[in-house]
Amino acid sequence: MAKPKEAKKPSVFSLLASYKGLIFLLILFALLSNGINLLLPKIIAHGIDSYTNKTFNLDSVLLQFAIAIVLVFIFTYLQSIVQTYASERVARDLRSKLSDQISRQSHAYIIEANPSKLLTNLTSDADSIKMFVSQAIVSLASSIFLIVGASILLLMINWKLALCVIAIVPIIGIAFYLVLKKVRVLFIKSREVIDWLNKVISESILGSALIRVINSQQLEYQKFLDANSKARDLGLSILRLFAGLIPIIVFVSNLSGLTILVLGGHFVITDTMTLGEFAAFNSYLALIIFPILVIGFMSNVIAQATASYQRIESVLNAPEVKHQGTLTDALTGDVEARNIELNFGQKPILKKVSFAAKAGSKTAIIGPTVAGKTQLLYILTGLIEPQAGKVLFDEQEIKSYKQENFHQQVGFVFQDSIIFNMSIRENIAFSNTVTDESLAKAIQTAELKDFIEALPAKLDTIVSERGNSLSGGQKQRIMLARALAVNPKILLLDDFTARVDSNTEKRILENIQLHYPGITLISVTQKIAAVENYDQVILLMQGEVIATGTHRELIQHSPEYVQIYNSQQSTSNYELQS
Amino acid sequence: MNYNLNQLNEEQEKQSTYQALKRLLKFISAERKNLILALIAILVNSGLLLLGPLLVGHTIDTYIRTKQFHGVLVFGGILLGMYLIAMVTGYIQTKLMGGVGQRMLYTLRNAIFNKLQELPVSFFNQNKAGDLISRVNSDTDKLNQFFSQSLMQFIGSIVTMIGAGIFLLSINIELGAAALSPAVAIVVFTIALSPWIKGKNAKNLKSVGGLSAEVQESLNNFKVIIAFNRRDYFRKRFDEANKENYRTAIGAGLANNIFVPVYGLLSSIAQLIVLLFGIHLISIGQFSLGFLVSYLSYCTNFYNPLRQLAALWTSFQVAMASWDRISKILLLETNLQVIKNDETITSDALIEFKDVHFSYDDSKEILHHINLKFEKGKTYALIGPTGGGKTTTASLISRLYDATKGTVLLNRKDIRSFSAEERTQKIGFILQEPFLFTGTVKDNILYGNNQYKDVSDDELTKIIEKANLNALLAIFDEGISTKITSGADSISLGQKQLIAFMRAVLRNPELLILDEATANIDTITEQLLSSILNKLSKETTLVIIAHRLNTIENADEIYFVNEGEVQQAGTLNDALNMLSKGKRVS
Repeated sequence: MAKPKEAKKPSVFSLLASYKGLIFLLILFALLSNGINLLLPKIIAHGIDSYTNKTFNLDSVLLQFAIAIVLVFIFTYLQSIVQTYASERVARDLRSKLSDQISRQSHAYIIEANPSKLLTNLTSDADSIKMFVSQAIVSLASSIFLIVGASILLLMINWKLALCVIAIVPIIGIAFYLVLKKVRVLFIKSREVIDWLNKVISESILGSALIRVINSQQLEYQKFLDANSKARDLGLSILRLFAGLIPIIVFVSNLSGLTILVLGGHFVITDTMTLGEFAAFNSYLALIIFPILVIGFMSNVIAQATASYQRIESVLNAPEVKHQGTLTDALTGDVEARNIELNFGQKPILKKVSFAAKAGSKTAIIGPTVAGKTQLLYILTGLIEPQAGKVLFDEQEIKSYKQENFHQQVGFVFQDSIIFNMSIRENIAFSNTVTDESLAKAIQTAELKDFIEALPAKLDTIVSERGNSLSGGQKQRIMLARALAVNPKILLLDDFTARVDSNTEKRILENIQLHYPGITLISVTQKIAAVENYDQVILLMQGEVIATGTHRELIQHSPEYVQIYNSQQSTSNYELQS
Repeated sequence: MNYNLNQLNEEQEKQSTYQALKRLLKFISAERKNLILALIAILVNSGLLLLGPLLVGHTIDTYIRTKQFHGVLVFGGILLGMYLIAMVTGYIQTKLMGGVGQRMLYTLRNAIFNKLQELPVSFFNQNKAGDLISRVNSDTDKLNQFFSQSLMQFIGSIVTMIGAGIFLLSINIELGAAALSPAVAIVVFTIALSPWIKGKNAKNLKSVGGLSAEVQESLNNFKVIIAFNRRDYFRKRFDEANKENYRTAIGAGLANNIFVPVYGLLSSIAQLIVLLFGIHLISIGQFSLGFLVSYLSYCTNFYNPLRQLAALWTSFQVAMASWDRISKILLLETNLQVIKNDETITSDALIEFKDVHFSYDDSKEILHHINLKFEKGKTYALIGPTGGGKTTTASLISRLYDATKGTVLLNRKDIRSFSAEERTQKIGFILQEPFLFTGTVKDNILYGNNQYKDVSDDELTKIIEKANLNALLAIFDEGISTKITSGADSISLGQKQLIAFMRAVLRNPELLILDEATANIDTITEQLLSSILNKLSKETTLVIIAHRLNTIENADEIYFVNEGEVQQAGTLNDALNMLSKGKRVS
């Protein structure tokens, strides 16, 4: 997707603004436990010194130490609880926000944004931000605190020696900065590779039957191998950078330890420092080095989280589809398309298509493959917007209707079978306005009653994802029942009869007449025989309306229609006999 | 056969944990050389890091306390050399172990994907796409995180700990034993809690799979959600999955974080023990102050890695829970094995069904007592009401499933004795729901076609012409280079069916099954398709499943399939009579 404003890159830290309370508690507990931890070497040094001075008091050392470690325990435990809640809450809210945003988008946006990528956004990307909150924030805060705190204590003990030790901080900082700049780019790339992997996996799952029929498993494996190799290579590149960085940091910190030994040793020898102070210096150095290493590891987490957050932000910032419609009127069923034009890129799909269907009338749209029939139906339901022209329902533009009200009055049976992995009841009563009564009516109309009665759990039988356990005709009829269950005023059928045998088809159409009188029917179909008594037939070819009229009229005036009619003649004869 | 990964039976469960571990070791064994090298690097590195405090202690006692600065400098130089070596070994260790992790992840993902390709269609019918994706991607990544980041620290920590432990004990056995006693408590605590923690993480990973499945299903069917005004429904379903995930994640998180404070507490207690006991020892003259300083730092060397282990142990538990989920896939075996059976049965047909029964999964039988023959070069039609068993019959011919009872013969031999390659070369099947891959029209019509694998565009155009398919290409704007995105609506269902048709015809199968393959194609194009079919080799057998009767007019024989039984219909008229009387069972 195009991202016009490259300049403004949201920082993952900005995300935390809404969780001030939790983050405050988190940092507070972390600092308290770490602060007390800082005192431990001091207590030990004091113990050693007092022992050397023969003023050692066992009880007081024991008491101080015991209080300190119990407090540390309590605060770390509290911190771990807050940490869990904070990170999970951030992730949960982020996923909610994302799904909320996605749920308000148009069909076109989802296809363009690509479901595999959105899946990565909702899972892996959200996870890396969760990791950021649960690990990076505490580690960063306590590391910085430890470094600063230990530095101050070091300065207080011996400022000259302390400065030598503290000098390592900027050196390490620069090393990090240089490496992380490179790593960030690689992280973004590796996220893209994950999208790619998801796509290959998901196509191989959705196309599993075809792959087995063609025996192309090897080919799929090769595709996967390509993506996976790329993922591995990226992983190795990132690794190489970190493999170089971490030993350098360890070395630099070891150097500072060496400085303490040599220089500190010198001070002790010259009696400007006590042995106890020297021991404390050593302990504090250990305290400084560990947080520096932690910052190193966390920078990895932060880099990943930043890459993920930018991807998530680009979804969250996608312009929302505006639903300005306010009309909530009940439709009477008049439908009109006026000069509809639709292009996919340069390619015209529909050219100045116009027609009108009166309430309660039956309209058939007939035409060859790629005439634009399905697209026309999508426009009539508002799934896609035409580049020019108007769609009118009861002489009002489709845009002016409130979406919810509109969709409750228009039923649409898609050409491809879309069945959800839920009970048959939920698959049919897919809208929340469906009553038991209208559900029963829809099932009866779609001739599904016997089928459902024969199922083990009747309406509550769960059908598998993609409806694999159902036959083509059963899926199609469930989709019809789904459209009828909302008691629509207008019913749009996209090649509904393709997978249903002609007897069932005939019965279903009669049922619709009987149970849904006054419904406006617009049906895309291939079979002329079924629509001979329709109020009008629209012949659509290559995006243009070639002819409009009743079957009788078209058979007299449209040579194209006659050609289609003839191509079906032999069949029609048989169907008449049956 | 049960392929549902979330409902494996107990035996399958049990088998998986044990075998999984063996398999995991097999994956690692390929990296033996690197692992040994890395281990050496880790040993050297940890050894050097341990030697450091010892030398520092020695320097303090021998030189600083006796005020000999020269000795301090000498030991400083030795330490510098050690640190330089440690830097090199540190680099080698990270690079090697990380490399092992990345390559393991790579091999593991490949293994899972390969397994997915081996498994039969039933497996995909029983599992959700999103859950599978989550297993291939997230779960392997959890394992990778452990291998590339944690394992190295894990080994390093253990080595450092053992080393520090030995030092602690060897310097002074009593003080050492006292210093190590809290560690025993830690081990007991860890072992006791691990199963509980792994269980919590397993629950969490399962809900991650559920979330992913929810997203996958909803996003791929988004137009229905819009057209039925169920955006709220998408939000609700997602919200439920999200909440469930939140709940299990909190459970797992709280469990995972329990180690850190406990380990911290016990390691502080150890320090206290050392301090008090050490001072006691010094007071009775058994220990020196210099040694106490380095002893305290060994203690830190022992307990700091232990603290790290607390975090690592958690990531180990997460990795094990992920591995369980992965190994469940790896251990499934296809029930469609190629059997050894060269026995030929006298039959004059290309395909013959001998008393075939079929049910999907131990439930209701779908096909009963099917006996039918498809002879070479003839055209057959299967007609009947929806849900009668036509597609199932066709699926048995192409061995998407095996018969539960009875035999399907191909060329007089049990169809199960053919290799997948040979079988799919002979039998073409245009599925009811055409599926296209992202790519071009060319990619899709040559998909899986070994004969024309590397042909140029010009050659392909000629091949298409020869197969009389060129008229079909005309409806694609840019011919064979028209771009296709899988799952998108940029091309129509009719166009998809045409591509599936071309794809099947160009494979020159001996038997071609068309399962409502032209249902969404207009009748004029359909006439074109039947003329193409007529021009196919006289040897080609066609099996056509259709509702539209004009597609089956030219059939040599018609079978009427209803309620899982197949009857032969003499003429088209007979068939129509059956059809009009046929009670629809479904």
